[in-house]
Amino acid sequence: MKRLVIGLGNPYRRDDAAGLEVARRVRTVEAHQRMTSSYELIDLWEGADDVIIVDATRSGAPAGTVRHFHPLQEALPNRAFSSTHAIGIAETIEMARQLNRLPAQIVVYGIETGDITAGTTMSPVVEQAVMRVAEEIDHA
Amino acid sequence: MPMSADREIAVDYLARVEGEGAMYLKLRDDEVIDLKFKIFEPPRFFEAFLRGRKFSEAPDITARICGICPIAYQMSSCNAMEHAAGVHVAGQLAALRRLIYCGEWIESHALHVYFLHAPDFLGYNSAIDMAKDFPEQVQMGLRLKKVGNQIMILLGGREIHPINLRVGGFYRVPTKRELESLVPELEWALDAAVNTARWVAEFPFPEFERDYEFVALQHPEEYAIHQGRIVSNGGLDIAVDEWEEHFEETQVEWSNALHARLRERGSYHVGPMARYSLNSDQLTPTAKRAAEDAGLGPVCTNPFRSIVVRAVEIAFACEEALRLIDAYERPTEPFVPVEPNGRVGYGASEAPRGILYHRYEVDEEGLIADAHIVPPTSQNQLSIEDDLKAYVPGHAHLSDEQLQWQLEQAIRNYDPCISCATHFLDLTVERDAAGS
Repeated sequence: MKRLVIGLGNPYRRDDAAGLEVARRVRTVEAHQRMTSSYELIDLWEGADDVIIVDATRSGAPAGTVRHFHPLQEALPNRAFSSTHAIGIAETIEMARQLNRLPAQIVVYGIETGDITAGTTMSPVVEQAVMRVAEEIDHA
Repeated sequence: MPMSADREIAVDYLARVEGEGAMYLKLRDDEVIDLKFKIFEPPRFFEAFLRGRKFSEAPDITARICGICPIAYQMSSCNAMEHAAGVHVAGQLAALRRLIYCGEWIESHALHVYFLHAPDFLGYNSAIDMAKDFPEQVQMGLRLKKVGNQIMILLGGREIHPINLRVGGFYRVPTKRELESLVPELEWALDAAVNTARWVAEFPFPEFERDYEFVALQHPEEYAIHQGRIVSNGGLDIAVDEWEEHFEETQVEWSNALHARLRERGSYHVGPMARYSLNSDQLTPTAKRAAEDAGLGPVCTNPFRSIVVRAVEIAFACEEALRLIDAYERPTEPFVPVEPNGRVGYGASEAPRGILYHRYEVDEEGLIADAHIVPPTSQNQLSIEDDLKAYVPGHAHLSDEQLQWQLEQAIRNYDPCISCATHFLDLTVERDAAGS
């Protein structure tokens, strides 16, 4: 069974890089870092059975909060996963659903951001969340 | 006397365009009282922060203006720096530039045709809704876009903001074998593009023609993409460095993008319809046939049919890419040296949405002293407003909802890239009571 991690984010917007950092840190699973969440991801996960997507969220929860979403059961909350570049992960997943191209298993980890101003360092609480998520994926 | 009513239609955030914009329309009966295509994307100050940077940084900095058409920015800035230095990049280096530009046309046009514009004609709010009923077409659109991206990745290092282009050429040039890896998918894509043209040609098109002044690059030997003179069907035929004598930019309070106009004649139209109408005799054979089969004459003046022209241009770009790969011989040097110090340079190229003009003044140390960038969407703003003003009177009987739909569709005819012009689109239709 092929597992795949896709980390999403912008490396120059501090906590927004959380997903990228998880993808960089996982050791036991094939991982990709992507700055955009567009329809190209549907090709990227082609052939994988178990896909883990990690993205930053902005839902108003405390920074560092980690939530799990299960798109096979229900659509992602678009608002929490919005992208400044038109097509966000929620839309990409809905497109894949329409085209019957969702993997057999897919889970989305949302890591709540605090500071998404310009910069390359993450808030300590978000960094801790990144470490927890990477470990959880490695030991699953 | 019948009571006439003013109506107001406002779209605060236009969907399926690149960037942030809005539309506002006020009508009294079928008369347009006020109409504005608003670009409220905040200004981005690229021209200001290019000042003081090394001339060689211009392609990488300006590529960041757009994630859809970075090659256009890289090419126009390279052209300008090379023009300043009196260098002309020719032969296989020019062919590689044309090839990566074909990649950008394919990915950008596929995105617009399938995901931004087709839903308008078929009555869907989004490509996701459309995918339920047209899964094969949507899959085709995704695969076409991917073919364009693959060219950009192979030649540019990555599809968004490629990193392998430089003033004078490339950092590394590919081997013939590397390029040949693209051939099977390009052959598929050429067929797919022909089918796309056939599919979109059947869409219902509002009857609407306008007498545009089309402006595009033209080159004696090829369907112009990365080089050429600036010509129009209004008699314009100038070198790129004469741009400022013939065009001007003015500020309007409702847009963060400057409005460009021809000094003598005002509004003009850039993009696929302009290119096609001025240069269609230079299209590749399959693209010409696709245009004929789709019922396009040598000139297209119905902006709603721009979707057909884009499909034809996808076919052209695939066929041209195949030709370039077939004729490729790896150059011995990946770039030619360029020294623009102490000079002024002008450059233009055909972004997927139309002419992109750059001008740079470079000081004796090779630092940029002044930069001027005119993207296609700022050039099309007036033409967009003129289209809407001309469209409304014959369609004022429509409900607000229908009218708004068609006007948004009319804006999307231009594949506007508001991020480039400054970024998003948002529509207001106002109809108010007479005498109020």
